[in-house]
Amino acid sequence: MEIRSAAVIGAGVMGSGIAAHIANAGIPVFLLDIVPQDVKDGRGNDRSVVARTAIEKMLKTDPAPFMHKKNARLVTPGNIDDDLEKLATVDWIVEAVVENPAVKSDLYARLDKVRKPGSIVSSNTSTIPLKNLIEGQSDRFAQDFLITHFFNPPRYMRLLEVVSGPATRAEAVTSLSTFADKRLGKGVVQCKDRPGFIANRIGTYWIQAAINEAMDLGLTVEEADAVVGRPMGIPKTGVFGLVDLVGLDLMPYVSRSLLKTLPPGDPYRDIYREPELFTRMIAEGYTGRKGKGGFYRMNKSGGARVKEAVDLQTGQYRPAGKPSLDSVAAAKGGLRKLVEHPDKGGTYARRVLVGLLSYAAGLVPEIADDITGVDQAMRLGYNWKFGPFELIDQLGADWLADALRAEGKAVPALLETASGKTFYRTENGKLQFLTTEGGYADLVRPEGVLLLSDIKRAGKPIARNASASLWDIGDGVACLEFTGKMNALDSDVMALIRKAAGMIGDGKGDWKALVVHNEGDNFSVGVNLGLALFAVNIALWPQVEQTVQEGQETYKALKYAPFPVVAAPSGMALGGGCEILLHCAAVQAHAETYMGLVEVGVGVIPGWGGCKEMLTRATLNKKRPGGPMPPIAQTFETISLAKVAKSADEARDLMFLRPTDGITMNRDRLLADAKAKALALAADYKPPEPVKLRLPGPTARAALDLAVEGFQLQGKATPHDVTVSSALASVLSGGDTDITVELDEDELLELERTAFMRLVRNSNTVARIEHMLTTGKPLRN
Amino acid sequence: MPTYKAPLNDVRFVLNEVFSVGQLAELPGHEDHTPDLIEAVLEEGAKLAENVLQPLNRSGDEEGCHYENGVVRTPAGFPEAYAQFIAGGWTGVSADPEYGGQGLPHVVNFVLEEFLCSANLSFGMYPGLSHGAYNALYLHGTDELKRAYLPKLVDGTWSGTMCLTEPHCGTDLGMIRTKAVPDDSGDGSFAITGTKIFISAGEHDLTENILHLVLAKLPDAPPGTKGISLFLVPKFLPRDDGTPGMRNGVLCGSIEHKMGIKASSTCVMNFDAAKGWLVGQPHKGMRAMFTMMNAARLGVGIQGLGLAEVSYQNAVSYARDRLQGRSLTGTKAPEKPADPIIVHPDVRKNLMTMRAYTEGCRALACWIGLNIDIFSKHPDPAVRAEADDLVALMTPVVKAFFTDIGFETTNMGVQIYGGHGYIREYGMEQFVRDARIAQIYEGANGIQALDLVGRKLPQDMGRLLRRFFHPVSEFLEENQEDPALLEFVIPLAKAFGKLQQATALIAQRGMKNPDEAGAASTDYLRLFALVAVGFMWVRMVKVAQAKLPQANGDARFYDTKIRTARFYVTKLLPQVNALFLTIMAGSAPLMDIDADAF
Repeated sequence: MEIRSAAVIGAGVMGSGIAAHIANAGIPVFLLDIVPQDVKDGRGNDRSVVARTAIEKMLKTDPAPFMHKKNARLVTPGNIDDDLEKLATVDWIVEAVVENPAVKSDLYARLDKVRKPGSIVSSNTSTIPLKNLIEGQSDRFAQDFLITHFFNPPRYMRLLEVVSGPATRAEAVTSLSTFADKRLGKGVVQCKDRPGFIANRIGTYWIQAAINEAMDLGLTVEEADAVVGRPMGIPKTGVFGLVDLVGLDLMPYVSRSLLKTLPPGDPYRDIYREPELFTRMIAEGYTGRKGKGGFYRMNKSGGARVKEAVDLQTGQYRPAGKPSLDSVAAAKGGLRKLVEHPDKGGTYARRVLVGLLSYAAGLVPEIADDITGVDQAMRLGYNWKFGPFELIDQLGADWLADALRAEGKAVPALLETASGKTFYRTENGKLQFLTTEGGYADLVRPEGVLLLSDIKRAGKPIARNASASLWDIGDGVACLEFTGKMNALDSDVMALIRKAAGMIGDGKGDWKALVVHNEGDNFSVGVNLGLALFAVNIALWPQVEQTVQEGQETYKALKYAPFPVVAAPSGMALGGGCEILLHCAAVQAHAETYMGLVEVGVGVIPGWGGCKEMLTRATLNKKRPGGPMPPIAQTFETISLAKVAKSADEARDLMFLRPTDGITMNRDRLLADAKAKALALAADYKPPEPVKLRLPGPTARAALDLAVEGFQLQGKATPHDVTVSSALASVLSGGDTDITVELDEDELLELERTAFMRLVRNSNTVARIEHMLTTGKPLRN
Repeated sequence: MPTYKAPLNDVRFVLNEVFSVGQLAELPGHEDHTPDLIEAVLEEGAKLAENVLQPLNRSGDEEGCHYENGVVRTPAGFPEAYAQFIAGGWTGVSADPEYGGQGLPHVVNFVLEEFLCSANLSFGMYPGLSHGAYNALYLHGTDELKRAYLPKLVDGTWSGTMCLTEPHCGTDLGMIRTKAVPDDSGDGSFAITGTKIFISAGEHDLTENILHLVLAKLPDAPPGTKGISLFLVPKFLPRDDGTPGMRNGVLCGSIEHKMGIKASSTCVMNFDAAKGWLVGQPHKGMRAMFTMMNAARLGVGIQGLGLAEVSYQNAVSYARDRLQGRSLTGTKAPEKPADPIIVHPDVRKNLMTMRAYTEGCRALACWIGLNIDIFSKHPDPAVRAEADDLVALMTPVVKAFFTDIGFETTNMGVQIYGGHGYIREYGMEQFVRDARIAQIYEGANGIQALDLVGRKLPQDMGRLLRRFFHPVSEFLEENQEDPALLEFVIPLAKAFGKLQQATALIAQRGMKNPDEAGAASTDYLRLFALVAVGFMWVRMVKVAQAKLPQANGDARFYDTKIRTARFYVTKLLPQVNALFLTIMAGSAPLMDIDADAF
């Protein structure tokens, strides 16, 4: 069954977020909640006020639950008293009401009466076992029922834990999982019906262990987070920062509900504590970022913003320090170097990891059939870079077993099985994992999933340099990957692009197309600003100009290549990272792609053809108003305000993406989709015809300058904003041209380059670049 | 006996015509410091250097300092000269008027220091150290300490020292062992115990009291340089009326016997529970020390400059007088039995090298000195910050290059004299010996080079570099059309290009492998300095070319300036090419040899 419509019951943070994300997939969805008592009592007449308010609130929430504001129109608010019958048409009903078995049971019974046969009902519960939920429900209900456990916030967290019961129809599981994978973009992990499923079971243990050991060993919260964060591939919030984020008050709630359902001998029971300090902090409202502060807080009382941290011994806030532990520095040499370091950071890391990893090893096959789901769940649900079994491989399974034996602790069976082995290995270029029987099995990717990391594992690049690599992704398609720090663009990247173009030639030989893609957090945030600033500081002007020209020529060559170039971005694509996308024959963007030409933030304008391409798009747009000014004004607004699209959908509005460009919801499917697009285009590919523009010249420039002066008078533009905008205006209006003259691309590029060079030599621009690099924030000078 | 005339003409040219020192009068506090006033001060300073200090230079070197039972006696004539020195107010030239100083611009003090170092480097050490102590106390001391001690340092009746080095550590101060324990007397003082060595002016008979600024560790000090505090330890504890009272527990154990600066007393200082007061914050002593050291490093650079100048003056007069052989191109002085040796190209090469470096470095010193004044007094914080950046960037360059040049050129001075240079009678060898220490103390020149490539170059992605590279780049662009200047602009532009390339290369390689930066550091510093001095020369030529047509009596001066600049850009500046090649060669030729193979 294909899911074409849905409903979410419960308009709390999770329920409304799930509804918003279903809408993001283009699916109409009802969002129902109760009729509040005061409305029932006659105070107010909107019986669906709860759901309606939730939707309105989401339109103001940052980060936004909706990928596009228009998606809110797909969510229909309602209430369970009046609107339950409307659910008779929907394919999937998600229950996200309060974690109370009686409430849920009652609701299910009512749902079962109205829902259509074969529709799927799932619960977003995080604590109640499936077998309890279906107790007393009809057989038909049990067959159509499963648990779909989303993580908060549902749009952004990639993990979806799916739990099916013995009665659940296989087809229901498949339909829902496929929908979640392809349409919602989730990484679906099938879990067993065990307490906390996978991620929270292991995550809760980890949090408790990391807190306990920090307190026992006398580490500060900063020190603890510095150890259990980055060095372990865990987000830098570490443990205390994470608790602040989630909310201190939630911790005892999660723990107690787990304790209720965990098996008697579970190791979590041994380490469970509720420190008095935490109880007091919760009671006093120090519940984390949503409260008055948590383990950390920003103290603004003295006028300045001072980051403070709680002293775990005294419970008092004090200025946060920058911990310097030798063990953390040593961790650059590997996890073993960290855990074997003699300082307290090393001891801490060892104790936390030995506890965590042995706990995880003891849970397979109890919570999942094999280790891959466990690792996947921790990566996607907690944003760990490595799952527990990948961490064990870094330390060595035998090292861990020996450490447990040395402490007189039991060694989990799976760890005994792994003796002398690793949990993962590469065999004939294929990634394999250790099964619970002790053999190895291929890690099979679902149909339509192509990962660059798998290709990289299987072979060597066709070409590589310090900042980029070129890979063969099969069927005559090559993939260009940025590999520099933060995927920054530099002349090495440009050199490899030209090399790739040379290799592919006319696209009629062995090679047919090029895909530009990488698996970094961000596609690329543009040029390496640090190197650029250094070149500016030592007045290497010819080199700076050459870098600009080289980028212009390389991107232009991509645009007119005789073969299709398809970019497949995910995450941020800013500045030069956005400009390359503008020059590709097509873009297949991950839904979570954030595009923007943000150059003005550092006092320059797009110099690699960004102005030219955006202006050309706006001019060629058939729906635009007539006359020469509208496309110039639109492009000017987009670039001078450094607008960034907060999703691929929004990028279409800003014309960073064209209607012909595609969007992929699941990141793992991005490369395959892009490759398919490239091959489809390659069939009878013709490069675009060059476009010449007629631009009004100085009159248009004067109009734009006037507008900017207005902004300055209103205090919306700074003096240097005026300078930068004026340079942008001179480019977009065509310089000293007039409307009778046709300007070709090279002439537009020269205008860009000249304006860029003028700006980059301006000391206020240099100040902006320096400020951005040293503080990470734009300077408003 | 060597002679010395302060180069007042050249100083006037640099201050007034190249850098328009009159602009300083626009800064608050310098309203009265017109070029006329500055010139009058410099003329008086020149007289003192020429007539009082220079005559004691040779005798001081011959006699040296005397040590007996913890007491040090300076050579004959020094106490009297010092009395004259402080009577003239020379210890407080650029000091704050609030503490009795004259508040003159630092650049004036730079020039006076050069005169002093030319005339008598050993003598200059005593007020020089006081000046460093003044800076540290002025910037980091409490008001109470400042009121009690600064007036005495400024009027010169008391002197100062910097006590850093210990027997087992010099460069790596994190290892110091001297301890400071809070005194239980309740007066907020500390008891300092430990041994310091190589302490210049640690003990002498010139002043009634000596103030030691001592690095020591508090009981709760974190390890390394983050655990060092700075203390003020007077030789005599001042009474309530400010006069020296009880003797403090600090004693000179012995003095060193040295290669040069023999009239400067270099002491082993023993602190035995000596009473001291904290200067600045606990454990933040390195910061306080660095303000002192940065000023001191520039001062040491000027020592090199001063010796280069005096050596040059004497070498020229000898080369004019000494008759020996005939010119290669035919007799030049037929009335004499032989031609003076100044007719020989190689002799000229030595003389011109000495001259071109000396005048170029003097201009550079004045540029930096002016920026210290801008940093101290300019009303706009952004302008102050830029000036501070330039001074910070150029401090290691000035210290290392000027002192290297000091040693190289004084050696050339000996060479001109031949055997007479090697014997003591003519005083030329003393300049070499005196110059040698300047390459070592206040951070050996290798450390200066590391400071340049390791700290100054990468700071904020090259922010400090901008303060030098942008003015040079702008100057070159502004002057690329001037046909008369082209023969100077082109070589400077080429050398500057090499400097840019080398800078980018070191930044790139050094990020991957710090040894690469280390291996390039000394060559890079010299390359940098040659370009900086080249920049000074082309700026000077531009002024000289403009002045020459209207010049009357000064025509010779401007003409010679232009010719010396030509020598610099054609004969000295091309060293940058060789330096660039050695930088390019990287660290492998140094590091690819096993330590055991040495």
